[in-house]
Amino acid sequence: MKTITTIKLIKLSASLFVVAFLANCTSTTVDEFRQGETGIESDESIVILGRRQASDYETRSEFVECVGERMTRGEGAISVVPEQEFIDAMFPWFEPRTAPLRTGDLEQLMAEDVVARKMNEFRIRNIVWVDGRTETSGRTGSISCTVGPAGGGCFGFGTWEDDANFDARVWDVSSLRNVGTINADATGQSYLPALVVPIPLIARVEANACSRLATQLKDFVNGS
Amino acid sequence: MRLVNTANKAILSRLTILFVAGLLNACGASSVIIEGNFPTPNINKMPLSVAVYYDDALREFAYMEYTETGREEINIESGLSHIQLFDAVLPAMFDQVVNVSSLEDAVSQNVDAVFAPAIEEFQLALPAKTKLDVYEVWIKYNMRLLTSEGDYIADWVLTSYGKTPTETFRSVENGINEATVVALRDLASSFSLSFAQVPEVRDWLSSL
Repeated sequence: MKTITTIKLIKLSASLFVVAFLANCTSTTVDEFRQGETGIESDESIVILGRRQASDYETRSEFVECVGERMTRGEGAISVVPEQEFIDAMFPWFEPRTAPLRTGDLEQLMAEDVVARKMNEFRIRNIVWVDGRTETSGRTGSISCTVGPAGGGCFGFGTWEDDANFDARVWDVSSLRNVGTINADATGQSYLPALVVPIPLIARVEANACSRLATQLKDFVNGS
Repeated sequence: MRLVNTANKAILSRLTILFVAGLLNACGASSVIIEGNFPTPNINKMPLSVAVYYDDALREFAYMEYTETGREEINIESGLSHIQLFDAVLPAMFDQVVNVSSLEDAVSQNVDAVFAPAIEEFQLALPAKTKLDVYEVWIKYNMRLLTSEGDYIADWVLTSYGKTPTETFRSVENGINEATVVALRDLASSFSLSFAQVPEVRDWLSSL
């Protein structure tokens, strides 16, 4: 009798796992809006900066780093100046309160000889402004765990949806113009079934948004 | 048998002391000493010699955050980081900068001006209280510029703001430290870029 119950439990957990695993996928949409010609020489670099002006969120530096790191790899790799290195070298011109919000502000900034000289030292061709965040919604389900003298375990099921939405605006430093915008939107459902042991099946929405945005940005900056 | 009992009692009393000490420690306020790196501003220097005076209130500045029930919660010590920040910023702004231990010492230094910053207010917003996913810090300063004889040149208020997002494995102490460092960088950027635009400072500069 006990064996049948155990087999049933294993079957149930296995089918739950398979269902959750199949459903645990991420869908990503990338939109590109080109406003000008692009292209980069082998001795030129770009810098990717996160927008941090919003009052209730700020673009995570880890996401900015992820996009930058992926753009330096593979075919058509681009030299990317690390965000913090650039901000520190340009201090105090690219702090949250002083960073240029429009290309017109960049034009004013480039009129400062110290800024223009530093930008030239880095051989910056494009400034890419990344703005966005990952939001979690639709949390449902519950999991309860118990611990007793004979051992412990959890039982239940939890699920939630993650939505990563990021914009990347590309500025051309030589023409002081906005040359295009790329948007990456990734959504995915995560699951946490628990039958004795919780099994997290996490949708990697931010990682997918990073990967797709980096690929698209690389092509865009290379002008292909 | 008696020896075993005595040893047990000693262990028990030590454990009790440890437990009580741990309990008291858990009830006490935690402390954060602000630490960060402040880059040198990339700006044009002004041809001025300035003496800087940090008073004890600035050197030892600490802010205590209280719980809603009035219990001491977090003590934030930021005096040293303020001095590190000004020590990084001022030499990039002025040709010559000297530190003085009192306003009277500035007279013998033969400088154009004496700069004496002061913190007027410090505010902290914790995610647990605001229900937002960010740690926030506001600091209000009173910047004073005097002649080497101690006469008034300018006196202006400057506010700085810093925030940092909550993260899964980020401690409250780390969140406060990061937000304060952002606020200190904000102070450095607004101070260095707006100094010559303060009306009294601008008038004084044009009179030199």
